[in-house]
Formats: sequence, C-alpha cells, structure tokens
Amino acid sequence: MTGTATPAHGAAKPTHVRRRVPVRTPHQAAKTGGGRLGGPLAALPWALPAFAFVGVLLVYPFFRSVYGSFFEDNGFTSSFTGFDNYTRLADDPIFGRSLLNTLMWVAGTLLLPVLAGLLIAVATHRMRCGRIAQLVIVLPFAISGAATAVLWNFMLTSEGAVNQVLRGVGLDGLAQPWLLEWPQNTLSMIVASTWQATGLNVVLFAIGLRAIPRETVEAAELDGASGWRMFRYITLPQLRAVSVVVVGMAIVNSLKAFDMIWILTKGGPSRSSETLALSMYRETFRLFHVGYGSAIALVLSVIVVASSWTYLRRQMPDTSTTAVQS
Amino acid sequence: MGRTVRHVFVAGCVLLWLIPLYLLVVNALTPAAEYAGKPEWTFQGFALLDNLDTAWDVAGIGDSFQSSLLYAVVCGLLAVLVAAMAAFAVVVLPIPRPAFWFWLIYSGTLFPLQMFLAPLFGLYADANLYDTRIGLMLVYTAWAVPFAFFLIRNQLTTMPPELTEAALLDGASFPRIFWRIHVPLMKAGLGAAFIFQFTAVWNDLLLGITLSRSPDVQPVMAALTTLNNAYSSAGPPVILAGALIVSAPTLVLFLVFRGLFLRGVTASAR
Repeated sequence: MTGTATPAHGAAKPTHVRRRVPVRTPHQAAKTGGGRLGGPLAALPWALPAFAFVGVLLVYPFFRSVYGSFFEDNGFTSSFTGFDNYTRLADDPIFGRSLLNTLMWVAGTLLLPVLAGLLIAVATHRMRCGRIAQLVIVLPFAISGAATAVLWNFMLTSEGAVNQVLRGVGLDGLAQPWLLEWPQNTLSMIVASTWQATGLNVVLFAIGLRAIPRETVEAAELDGASGWRMFRYITLPQLRAVSVVVVGMAIVNSLKAFDMIWILTKGGPSRSSETLALSMYRETFRLFHVGYGSAIALVLSVIVVASSWTYLRRQMPDTSTTAVQS
Repeated sequence: MGRTVRHVFVAGCVLLWLIPLYLLVVNALTPAAEYAGKPEWTFQGFALLDNLDTAWDVAGIGDSFQSSLLYAVVCGLLAVLVAAMAAFAVVVLPIPRPAFWFWLIYSGTLFPLQMFLAPLFGLYADANLYDTRIGLMLVYTAWAVPFAFFLIRNQLTTMPPELTEAALLDGASFPRIFWRIHVPLMKAGLGAAFIFQFTAVWNDLLLGITLSRSPDVQPVMAALTTLNNAYSSAGPPVILAGALIVSAPTLVLFLVFRGLFLRGVTASAR
C-alpha cells in the first residue's frame, strides 16, 4: 500500500510519465506540468458526481452505522451506551449460533462450489462437448438468488422433489423436512447456493486452465507425468493465481449471503439458521434494535474486510495488474 | 482421470444441474388447478401462459417487473456514466491524490450492504424518499457506481497516454477527448460494466425490501418473495412461473452477451 495509484510499470500512467511535448519554440518546452491540461482543479468536476453518490449514500451511512453501534437505539430514542452492544453480542446465544452458521456458510462454500468448480473445469477442459457442459453449469449464475431460492424451496419442502427422489429409490429413512431443523437447513441451503455459484468458478478456472502454457504441459508429458501427477504438480500450481481470486470471491459472497436464506427459512425456525447478515436485518428492521443491529453489521464488515484482504491485495491499483489471459 | 470416468463425471454433473431447471419448467407448465401437492416429473398439460398470466397480473409481478426494468436500465446507465467520468478523472486527468479518490469510490464495494441499511432507512424516512421510485433509483445508482468504476478504471489504465496527449496538442477539450476518444475505445468495457450492474440492480432483494413497501414501487425480487410466502395458496406452478418471469431478462442478457460477461469476469479477476 504505497500512496499512489500508479501501476508499477509506468507505461499506463499518463500523469506520471510526463513526456516532452514536441513544440516549435524551445523556450516553451521548459514549461513543466503540462500547461495545456489546466490546473489540478480542472479534473475535480469529473469525479464529483461519483463522489456525491458514493459519499452521501454509502460512505456517510457507513460512518453513521459505526457511530450508531455505540448507542442504545430502539428507533425512537437513543442513548449513548459505549461498548454495551458489543458485550451483549458476546453473551447472546443467538449471536453465537449466527456466527457458527456464518462460518458454516464460509466453509461449505469453500468446500462445495470451489472444489466442484475446479473439478468440473479440469474435467471439461479440452473435452469435445466441454463448452456445452460448462454452459449448462453456468446457466444458474444468470438467475437471481431470489429465483434460485424459490426454485429450491419447491425442491426442499417436506413434500418436495428431493424427498420424492429419496422415497422413489427406497431411501425413506433419509427423507426429512430439510428446512425445519438445524443443521440440515443451513447445509441444504449451502447445497442450493452451490447449484448457483459453481458456474462462475468453472468459468474462472477454465480461463486459468487455458492460460497454462502448452510448453509446460508438453515438457511434463515428456518427463512422463500424466493423470494425477500432472494435475498435482503442473495444473494446480499453475492455477494458483486464479485460485486466490476464486477463494477470495467465494468467502466474501458466502459472508454476504442473504436472499437465499431470507426466502427459504427467514433465518428460522426459531432463528436457528440465521447468519450475521440475517441477524442484523432482523434486529434492525423487525425488532427495532437499531444500535444492536449496527453492532452486528460492524462485526460482519470487519470479518468481510479482513477475509477479502488477500483478494484485494491482488487488486490493488499500485501492483502491476497481470491480466488473466483469455 | 480415465477417459470414461471423466465423461461419466461430466455427464453426471450436467444432469444434476439440469434436474432443477427441468422441474422448474415442467411444473410451471402444470395447470394450477391440477397440481396434486407434489412435484410433477412429466408434462401434465400446457398451462404455462395461464400461470404466467396469473403471476403477472394477480400476484403483481407485472407492476414490479416494470419498476425493476426502469431501475435496472436507468441506474445501470447512470452508474456507468458517472463511473466512467470518475475513472477518466482518476486515470487520465491530473487529479491531485488519485489513490485517495480511487479508494474513496471503490470502498463502496468492500462492505456488506447491512452496513448501510439502518442509516439509509433513517435518511430516507427524514427526506421523504422512503417507498419512492426516485429514492430506490438513487441508492441503486450509488450502489452500482463503485464496481463499474473499478472495471472501467482497469480498462482505462491499459490505454496509451499518447492518445490524450495527441488530442490535447490538437486543442481538444476534456469533454471532447472523453466523448470522442475514450468512450468509443472503451465500448466493450462500458458494455460489460452496464450488463453487470443491470444484473446486480435487477437481482437485488435486500435494498428493495428495506426501502420500499408499496406494490407499485417494489422491485421484482421483493414481489417474488411476497408471492413465495403464499406458497400453499398461490400454488407452486404459479410461483415457479413467477420465478421464470423474473429470471428471463438476466438469462437473455447473459446468453446474448456471454462474451462481454466473460470479459467483465476476467477483468474483475486480476
């Protein structure tokens, strides 16, 4: 984190690399700072609309939330209570369950969509109908979380399609009200979101696979590597850059998961499948514990920012952007 | 992997992914009156149009569909324009402290929405923007700007600075340089950013249920949620037809502009 937004390879930074402008009279060449560009203030109006939107509707509410989390606020009256909300969080069993569910979402998302995405991408790489298979798996990615949840609600209810299939193949014992008991409800929602989220990972991994230089693969083949050893010692290391991105995105998205849970269980029954994102919403807009809700939001934000740090570091404007070859 | 194993694995995955979609279509086709209380696996007739009609009119998906279309198109365009201008300022023009501006605008994507909701609600209640279309449009635009800014900025940094210099030597003003040089050259990036943000606004549920209530303001995902809450009374065929309706625009966009989508994805995965 150096304080400049210049890429390390200065080639793409016009303001930094001040070339001599070819002019006729030599005494004009001595003028530095690109007199034609006007003063530094000339650029401000271009950034102001974005700044106004983001500043008023995102940055200000953010700080207001931080500030509000130190108050006991029920929507009508508010009084300063310091870190009270946070100590209450620590003692709240619902918060503990919520945190556990959130962690389950993160672990489940890393395990299922990321791993499935990698396997499918590797399996369909250079396959005859691989592109078509990939397209089918990417399709749900274009469907909203809400619509996915509605569809899976239909699959997961007690009389839903999943139980139908289980009974159909004689596994009656396994048929159960998927959404009505913890931990099944959280787990089955993770499966539902896997159906939606895997496609994106397949696409990203496929791009990474195509970027592996042919020479590397051929050299490995000459050395007699194939199958598992090829995957383990050639493919996986070459996919490291993409993996960082996929994992980073998966973590952040699983922490933010809301639509799916809200539609399928509303965080219930009896708040058993709530995640931090849901708890904040319920506390703030259903129970009007505004200050408490803000405290939850802040805890969630800290977790999100901390865990997306790796991902962000690669996205920093001051590191040279190594474009993924597609 | 052995060849056979690999093919079986891929075929199995494709089948697993297709089953929910198949059920969605089959059951959206089932006449609502004949729905027997459990999912159908075979075609039971063709009542798709009736179901779509019921979902559109009776369940009120139609009104929300129009609202959401307005939100997604207007906010997508506005956000891309505002973001492109900001990216232009940060990358091309000699703005003081470009890193500060970058982070200021980009920070909007870092935090979960929950961080903004409660103060936004208060702000909207005070400013009489709660449950108005204009209010939702403002917040959707603000929410769409940061990521669009990020995508466009990435594309701008790949452009040679000689372009700007040559134009300046020819005496072009900033607006002229922006509209005549950068915008035409960034068409693909702007398109990708628009598609991404259109989809994001269209698919939003959380802001919709927080900042709006009445049927004629509510975005489409909120209307679908309301319909889904009437699961037993409305009947699954109608609800699934509703899910089909709300998914149609983004699916079509995705299939038509797959290349742009992929560009956006790869641009964000650097």
